[in-house]
Amino acid sequence: MRKQIFLLLSALALLVAATLPAAAQSNPSKTKSDKSWAAPKTPWGDPDLQGTWTGDDTWGVPFERPKNFGTRKTLTEDELKDRQKRVEQSEEFVETGGTNHSPAVAQIEAKEKGEAVPQAQGRYGRGVDAAPVPGHWGEFARRPSHATSQVVDPPDGRIPPITPEAQKLLDEKMATRRRDPQSWEDWSYYDRCITRGVAGSIIPVIYGNGLEIVQAPGYVAIRYEMVHDVRVIPLGTQEHAGPGYRSWMGDPIGHWEGNTLVVDTTNFIGKTSIGVNGDAGPPSSDETHLVERFTRTADNRIDYQMRVDDPKTYTGPWTVEFPITQEPGYKLFEYACHEGNMAMRNMLSAARAEAAKKAAAGAAKP
Amino acid sequence: MRTRILLATAVIGLVLSAVPVWAHHAFAAEFDVNKPLVLKGTVTKMEWINPHAWIHLAVKNADGSTTEWLIEAGAPNGLLRRGFTKASLPPGTEIVVEGWQAKDESNRANGSNITYPDGRKLFIGSQGTGAPTDKEDKQGK
Repeated sequence: MRKQIFLLLSALALLVAATLPAAAQSNPSKTKSDKSWAAPKTPWGDPDLQGTWTGDDTWGVPFERPKNFGTRKTLTEDELKDRQKRVEQSEEFVETGGTNHSPAVAQIEAKEKGEAVPQAQGRYGRGVDAAPVPGHWGEFARRPSHATSQVVDPPDGRIPPITPEAQKLLDEKMATRRRDPQSWEDWSYYDRCITRGVAGSIIPVIYGNGLEIVQAPGYVAIRYEMVHDVRVIPLGTQEHAGPGYRSWMGDPIGHWEGNTLVVDTTNFIGKTSIGVNGDAGPPSSDETHLVERFTRTADNRIDYQMRVDDPKTYTGPWTVEFPITQEPGYKLFEYACHEGNMAMRNMLSAARAEAAKKAAAGAAKP
Repeated sequence: MRTRILLATAVIGLVLSAVPVWAHHAFAAEFDVNKPLVLKGTVTKMEWINPHAWIHLAVKNADGSTTEWLIEAGAPNGLLRRGFTKASLPPGTEIVVEGWQAKDESNRANGSNITYPDGRKLFIGSQGTGAPTDKEDKQGK
């Protein structure tokens, strides 16, 4: 049913796009600050947010604000120059791939020489996990962001403390991740190719940050690249569904405030986390209430804002903000996930092999 | 040389520090830290699938026999946006893979570093697809 609605809306959008005046596909460098720039409209008069957008430009921006920035939302000129340098370095890295070998090579060489294996230094563990994510995995910013963090409210840019109930759920989740896996349920809904939730689908990560917005009279639809969720947002609906209706992406209601699309979403199942990839931090609750704002401020830019209010999980609401941009040639590709999820199969196979080894070692003990 | 290694390491470190990777499943869940390897072989097929692409690699063993290995690569969407297509890694291409073997001891490894035999990295660069380094298409700077 969802697919049919999406196809219908896509067909409508194509029909509409075919009749759009050329002016709507105007010079992408024009912005709200240009006196001549006017936010484009659809033929039926709604603000036009359509197109393929990416959150890539938030690469390099921490999710929560480092404490030394205090309540400052914007980088200084010097700090911006520093980030600009890193963006340029990442561009060079895309072009050349760098010259480093995998730490696996250092391990092999040490073993051959009879030397101690060099301690692999990594933020995320040792050995395999200490190896950097291979360079060809990443997508990077095209221009440095001015932001000191993605979280902009509370004013210190840091998420309010979580509730004791949420801490308990987080502790249980971390314990599950640390123990020997028992089943596919020990992995995140993302790893299981189910969903990243609304927030997890748009908060920028190291790749797959694309989304597509399609409009029709009375509707806005958003298709997220990773992992393929689609939301159909009705405009003009006054009330959310009853409490018995729940879904991973919730029940959205949209309306326009000037040129801003405001999307109010409730009726979540919960369980996915609100942080990056829908997996960072405690699982969200079924009382999650998201309010998003999409404002087109240039032909190639939408300012995005999401307010999170989940009183069962967080002791106060919080807000993230970042732009999403249109880039020439940037396309979404189908993210059929479950069908190719060899990693899940491999992780379970690895867990069974390790369990068998442990059992054999146990049996061999005198 | 040293500067470039430091540069590459710094950039990689930035990638990791800017956006947490830990939320994605750990490599260590599939691959064994005690089984580092370097494989040299010929591509027989590439599976352009999400969540990760897989390269089928025919590796000649010392005794002359051939073993087919499966090498985990990145998400194809990012590669496609860099201009790589199904035709970019044709069967018959020789590549070198550095990584670790699967924990279940099957012939699978993660492609921690993948190069051509002359050392050039695979999957680098962009080809007019709006990727970050596509200079003709750069806008809004």
